Amino acid sequence: MYRLGLDLGSSYTKGVVVDDQNKMVDNYCVKTGYSFEKAAAKIIDNFSENYQLQSPYYTCGYGREQLSVPCSSNSEIIALAKGVFELYNRKCSIIDIGGQDTKYIKINESGQVDKFKMNRKCAAGTGSFLEEIAFRLDISPQEFNAFGEQATDEVKINSFCTVFAVSEIIGMIKNGTSLPNIIVGIYSSIVTRCIELSPVEDYLVITGGLPDTHPLIVKLFSKVFTNSGSPEHSQFLAAYGSVLLNK
Amino acid sequence: MENNNKLEKTEIVKLESVAALRKTMDDYFMRLKDAAENGTAKIAWCTSVGPAELLYSMGFEVYFPENHGAMLGTTKIADKYIPSAVVKGYSPDICSYLTTDIGAFLQNETPLQKMGFKSVPKPDILVYNTNQCREVADWFGFYAKHFDVPIIGVTTPLNIGELSPAIIDSVSKQIMDLVPELEKVATQKFDMDKFRERVGLSHDGCALWRKVLETARHKPSPINFFDSAIHMGPIVVMRGTQYAVDYYTILLAELQERVKNNTGSVPKEKFRIYWDGMPLWYKLSSMAKLFAKLDACIVASTYCNSWIFDDLDPAEPFISSALAYSKLFIVRSDEVKEDVLENLLKDFSIDGIIYHESKTCARNSNNRYGLQNRLFEKTSVPFLEINGDLNDPRCFSEEQSIIAIETFIDQLAGQKALV
Repeated sequence: MYRLGLDLGSSYTKGVVVDDQNKMVDNYCVKTGYSFEKAAAKIIDNFSENYQLQSPYYTCGYGREQLSVPCSSNSEIIALAKGVFELYNRKCSIIDIGGQDTKYIKINESGQVDKFKMNRKCAAGTGSFLEEIAFRLDISPQEFNAFGEQATDEVKINSFCTVFAVSEIIGMIKNGTSLPNIIVGIYSSIVTRCIELSPVEDYLVITGGLPDTHPLIVKLFSKVFTNSGSPEHSQFLAAYGSVLLNK
Repeated sequence: MENNNKLEKTEIVKLESVAALRKTMDDYFMRLKDAAENGTAKIAWCTSVGPAELLYSMGFEVYFPENHGAMLGTTKIADKYIPSAVVKGYSPDICSYLTTDIGAFLQNETPLQKMGFKSVPKPDILVYNTNQCREVADWFGFYAKHFDVPIIGVTTPLNIGELSPAIIDSVSKQIMDLVPELEKVATQKFDMDKFRERVGLSHDGCALWRKVLETARHKPSPINFFDSAIHMGPIVVMRGTQYAVDYYTILLAELQERVKNNTGSVPKEKFRIYWDGMPLWYKLSSMAKLFAKLDACIVASTYCNSWIFDDLDPAEPFISSALAYSKLFIVRSDEVKEDVLENLLKDFSIDGIIYHESKTCARNSNNRYGLQNRLFEKTSVPFLEINGDLNDPRCFSEEQSIIAIETFIDQLAGQKALV
């Protein structure tokens, strides 16, 4: 029997399968869309082919209390802290960049959350910010990182507002600024918004869907915080932690 | 959090005094209605921490637009009214009591219509004190122009550290200077004995209100912030009357009985929280349920504590009014605020603080200049900051805030387990 962890986020639903040795043996991610129930069903279908999943499921995220099947739920902040502590087993800071939230979490040497802070009521600095810009520029978000790797310089995006940031970017394009340099500027603005959440203490772990799919962001963080890194499959750590909280 | 879809329901234990509260408030509004429709008394509009005692002593019925603003907030449709004020030039970033109230007025709507009022009661004079903010003077200025009636007020210095004799003298003189202007409108001349009597009643009402709030020192607390935010009505609008004294005598007796019987407002109180900042008027009920579900009781707050004016002294009515209304938390320096909060954290055995940063009420948002970090360094009491607004629901992300609050309580639980 395997345990299922689900992180039902605003943009994506992430699922993990955990074995009886508390190892994450599989993971899968789908767009949340309009129904947490449907998103969870896709993940469960995907895993059911290979794993016998036990009840209840372990959930976190915005949709953690939305499923009709028996679940045990936790805040994704507590779950993420647990998942990160399982991997690192040390006092550290976490910056998690999700679809609509950016979070700073400080965990102590016992793995307890000492402090946390979320972004203010604004999506700048989150995955939605990047997706909106990609949509307006008619570029796939998956292409961003490759473009960014070609940058020769970095421009500064000043606007706090996603919509006005696009206007600012269009102005730069009109003035001949290269797309790669603009993309690094976009990444940098995300990093800046994250950094202002709270002073980073100890080792910094960067997690979430954005750093997983845009590794350049992790590089930019490492320029500011040399003592930092992002583990593989970091966007699944909250789902993983939600299982471990109940071990 | 355990088994979400099997969560045991826990609800706040309701206070029986709510029936007496309702009658006390209904009677107050009926006196205002009578004055407005039948001319039984002149009507003064007053800011919520303005010189109510003086106005009552001169025979006015007193109406408080901030109370009306909060009533509009609880209707959950402030965002319907705010745009009407915005098109008149009032920014959506300024006090949403102001924009909601003026917007509703421009749309000729008020919750008072359910009580038979045609509109808000027309003022004969408007009286403000800027001790809480400058917006109140601007707010009253709109109505003074609209109704073509006099507007007078007290300008209190901001950011008060030491309450020096110069400040008290200045404010006291300004309150005295209101008298001749009020006499031009009032049906009664100023009478020092009547003023002393009203100041004495206000003192007694405030002393009772203090005792009411201090019952929350008991574990479990017999009252929580969501109750207090509603039961504070009489101390806001009937300060200086026997009605407030009578009501708080009833409420205090019920709370003392709860203390005696160890009846908590939150059935399984495990966490004792301090709330800084304005209430989320449009979310009182759902927030109350959320905290109760988490076994967390908000036992003290800056907001409800702000109506304790027990420095009022009938022997020195002007001087003590100046002292009481300048000692108000909101008008003090951050150093003084830190000391006040530090003492409250100890007195009420607080496990954690929630700072509500209210988008349109900078003066009531105490986490904007680093106070939250300084207080944490002194006390090690963990804190959470949430973003919202007193009236404008568009400024509040409910889901994000629920996650933050649930996580904060989990954080406190983890830290308690380690102790």
